[in-house]
Amino acid sequence: MQQMEQQSIKRKHDEFSLPLPASAEVVVIGGGVVGCAIARELTRFTPDVVVLEKENDVADAASKANNAMVHSGMGEKKGTLKAHLNVRGNRMYDRFVEGLNVEFKRDGMFIVITPRSLSFPWLRWIPAWLVRQWMRVCLPWVLVAYGRGKGIKGLKRVRRKKLLRLEPNLTPEVISGIYDPNYGRISPYKLTIALAEHAVINGARVCLNTEVMGVRVEDGEVRGVITDRGEIATKRVVNAAGCFADEVARMAGADGFRIHARKGATLLFDKEISTVVNHTISELRVPLAGHSKGGGLMPTIDGPLQLGPTAIEVEDKYDTSVSREEIDWILDRFLYLIPTFPKSSVICAFTGVRAPTEQEDFVIGVSDKVKGFVNAAGTQSPALASAPAIAEMVLGVLQGLGVSRTLREDFDPVRPGKPVFSKLSDAERQKLVEEDPRWGHVICRCEYVTEAEIVNAIHGIIPATTVDAVKRRTRAGMGRCQGGFCGPRVSAILARELGIPVTQVTKDGEGSPLFCCESKDLLKEVV
Amino acid sequence: MRQTRQPEVAVIGAGPAGLAAALAAAQAGLGDVMLIERDLELGGILPQCIHDGFGSIVFKEALTGPEYAQYFIDMVGRSNIDVLLDTMVLDLTAERKITAINSRDGVLEIEPKAVILAMGCRERTRHQILIPGFRPAGVITAGAAQRYMNIEGLIPGRSVVILGSGDIGMIMARRFTLEGAQVEGVYEAMDHPGGLTRNVVQCLQDYEIPLHLSHTVTFIHGRKRVEAVSVAEVDADFEPKMETERRIPCDTLMLSVGLIPENELSRKAGIEIDPATSGPVVDERMETSVPGIFACGNVVNVYDLVDYVTQSAEVAGAGAAEYVLQGRKREAPIRVVPGRNVKYVVPQIISDFDRDISFYFRVEHPEKAVVTRVSADGEVLSQKKAKMVRPPEMVKAKAGPDALKDGHKVSEIIVDVNAGE
Ligand SMILES: Cc1cc2nc3c(=O)[nH]c(=O)nc-3n(C[C@H](O)[C@H](O)[C@H](O)COP(=O)(O)OP(=O)(O)OC[C@H]3O[C@@H](n4cnc5c(N)ncnc54)[C@H](O)[C@@H]3O)c2cc1C
Ligand SMILES: Cc1cc2nc3c(=O)[nH]c(=O)nc-3n(C[C@H](O)[C@H](O)[C@H](O)COP(=O)(O)OP(=O)(O)OC[C@H]3O[C@@H](n4cnc5c(N)ncnc54)[C@H](O)[C@@H]3O)c2cc1C
Repeated sequence: MQQMEQQSIKRKHDEFSLPLPASAEVVVIGGGVVGCAIARELTRFTPDVVVLEKENDVADAASKANNAMVHSGMGEKKGTLKAHLNVRGNRMYDRFVEGLNVEFKRDGMFIVITPRSLSFPWLRWIPAWLVRQWMRVCLPWVLVAYGRGKGIKGLKRVRRKKLLRLEPNLTPEVISGIYDPNYGRISPYKLTIALAEHAVINGARVCLNTEVMGVRVEDGEVRGVITDRGEIATKRVVNAAGCFADEVARMAGADGFRIHARKGATLLFDKEISTVVNHTISELRVPLAGHSKGGGLMPTIDGPLQLGPTAIEVEDKYDTSVSREEIDWILDRFLYLIPTFPKSSVICAFTGVRAPTEQEDFVIGVSDKVKGFVNAAGTQSPALASAPAIAEMVLGVLQGLGVSRTLREDFDPVRPGKPVFSKLSDAERQKLVEEDPRWGHVICRCEYVTEAEIVNAIHGIIPATTVDAVKRRTRAGMGRCQGGFCGPRVSAILARELGIPVTQVTKDGEGSPLFCCESKDLLKEVV
Repeated sequence: MRQTRQPEVAVIGAGPAGLAAALAAAQAGLGDVMLIERDLELGGILPQCIHDGFGSIVFKEALTGPEYAQYFIDMVGRSNIDVLLDTMVLDLTAERKITAINSRDGVLEIEPKAVILAMGCRERTRHQILIPGFRPAGVITAGAAQRYMNIEGLIPGRSVVILGSGDIGMIMARRFTLEGAQVEGVYEAMDHPGGLTRNVVQCLQDYEIPLHLSHTVTFIHGRKRVEAVSVAEVDADFEPKMETERRIPCDTLMLSVGLIPENELSRKAGIEIDPATSGPVVDERMETSVPGIFACGNVVNVYDLVDYVTQSAEVAGAGAAEYVLQGRKREAPIRVVPGRNVKYVVPQIISDFDRDISFYFRVEHPEKAVVTRVSADGEVLSQKKAKMVRPPEMVKAKAGPDALKDGHKVSEIIVDVNAGE
């Protein structure tokens, strides 16, 4: 019986998905931030772009579960492609988000120096006062110079006194620090959704619930993409499949890199306590253990504060679990910075999986084995920050493969935003209720999300067909009660708007039903 | 057009607390009482509590939740209380300005002379207790499960593990069983049940549902939908003993791990919150630290019995009416201090010690054959024997100024529990 239900869920999702086009100038595999950024840049030149995403929504993998930082490049090794595209991508961000109606704040980050910052074994041969003096006076300048060497501008030394004035809750043990004004914050899933919608507005097609199973290659050239819903003829494929990019490359016979999954867990705290810090704060730790950039205390653009992330190699690319050790590690590692931190205000723990290659660098460019197969892979952090530069680079490659170089005259620069109830004034709210009473019906009591916003999300350009997809677009269920209250109401609205029984509503697509059946059904089974 | 209304009292929330408070304010002589509820119907959480056990004190009989609520809903129907349903209060200021919204009127500005907070409580989630694992469908709080099953007619799962032996958890264990689902067991981190003994017997033992004390859930398995949970014994510090960890297949993990008073609006108004109760600090008339704003029911502290909720609401309603009709000047308050084996006491302060006051308190640990005592500056005002006190069961004690020998000005009241003779 469960089997049957799941099948009908699958069928239902097919109905929500676009019919597969027969051909396309470019097919982008993967609807994460990288794939969607590439698709959007492409539509400036050609509308004939198709994005294929195996999940029920865009931004349903790494692009929904990361730390949402538009890094400056401070954390990347000089000379790597990552460092280059990160510094460039960061600079491009303001233009990149123009017209998308996605909130982006460039309000910088403090990198603080504490007694724990340097942990070289040989330091114990040097008198402690001297090390401390050096960390106070010289180390900030070393960091500034290090950043400048990579092309990062505007770095400033900040003295202890000023740090404590600007961040009164910071540990008094702090020695000194620097300020990096380039750091920005954005909602990664809202950005990805906006990019996808902007691409669609300009002619692209985003096919959800469509998994790529193979790439047709003839005479060393791409001819088509084979999916579980049929085949699309094309000469150009972009592999932006995140963690699965190595597998997709292998399908085309264009392999040459392996992706190993490295998960990262983050704790999220009630926005009520967001005022414990005023800026993003990261603690300098060298040498760094593992491959995390160190993380820190990161206020999200929507309010809640993030602590994390961890960095743990995992076998399973779908391993989005959080372990007890990770939770303890995060609390131990970051609460040092804010001794009075109210750690009981945690509202959520989440995990994303990074997609590094063995070389720990991005793999971007056309495959030398298969003509027309372009990789945008190895997209571990900071691929969110680098997305504009990655997209620019891939676009250049595709133009080399025959995509038009002439900007379309009919390109629409704007992806219209929708009103967000919680951010409106009373007068604006009043006006909306008068137009549509559903604006007066608050469904999510923690984040103040109205029925109108949920309906808008369900009927959006990239439609939300699951509880999680509604959550990403509207924040319903993202607050302190985590959907305990609005869950039943959101499910009912989804069922009504999609025209399905509520028992077919899912949390996150196939295999994640919220209910097993209606009342009394189980009793019938027993009889 | 935006509307402004100026009732004498506005009550926020129409659960048993809000209903009784509005009625009490009306009975005390106010003609213009407004009751604001965001849900489509009155009664708060009660309409979904279809089990019995409500009203043993107020009505001296065991009613179901809907029955208990209906008594007050009918009374409100017969009164001239102005009821606003489907109306959500968004903001409250220290000047008692309420901003609310609904689909009919849009934004409402309400400027009452007094406000009564009766927003109830919400449930703690898996994250607040930091259960490791995946985040699949099928992890659900007891209240949400109760709503799905009793109001929406939907069954959240067929094989259920329950974490937490609070009353709602145990009641839902029985409810799942009656619906034909398999309850694999109830796991409780403490070494004693979290809820009433009555419920252990009637909801678990009678249905042969195992209760595993000193256990917790250590991991949630399943990426899309719960496939299993791992459980383990815990030590005296509630740390899991990993060598005892075992995996239990199930499709649902239901949590009954505590309720938290819903005080977002109280915080917006700058009301002082007691960290011990997570609710506002109130005085003997249930007035908060902000003059003219009163609070009652589970927004103040999680009362276990709805009868106590009603009683607190009657005090708040009368207090608000008194405030509107006569005004009130509060002097330096008397502090009410939790003494031996007392975790917290409501009210936390007394502004006017001019009448008998009911003190509601919770003990820190179970104790047999005790005397509960209220004393003022060392002078015992009242004492009562009890066979047994337990943390899940709130204790009530009454005391008044008449017992004071010379009627002197009291500076501190202590509530404590001592071994009986
Ligand atoms: C904990 C954590 C914190 C991070 N913090 C930051 C940060 O602060 N700043 C920053 O810049 N970066 C950060 N990152 C990195 C960032 O999240 C990623 O670099 C970025 O999201 C990668 O985007 P993507 O589009 O390449 O991959 P994804 O978002 O994973 O998208 C790939 C998509 O391809 C789809 N797909 C795969 N195979 C197929 C197939 N066969 N057919 C169809 N579709 C397929 C997948 O379903 C998926 O949706 C962080 C990452 C983690 C895990
Ligand atoms: C899931 C659950 C199950 C319970 N089961 C039992 C039980 O079996 N037996 C028992 O004795 N007790 C039970 N209780 C305890 C029960 O909550 C109390 O006995 C009683 O219902 C509390 O009354 P109240 O009026 O304080 O709160 P509630 O009944 O919760 O009512 C609060 C009301 O305020 C409204 N409200 C809140 N915020 C706003 C706002 N901003 N604007 C407008 N309206 C608002 C809510 O919609 C709600 O209707 C249960 C509690 C919960 C949460």
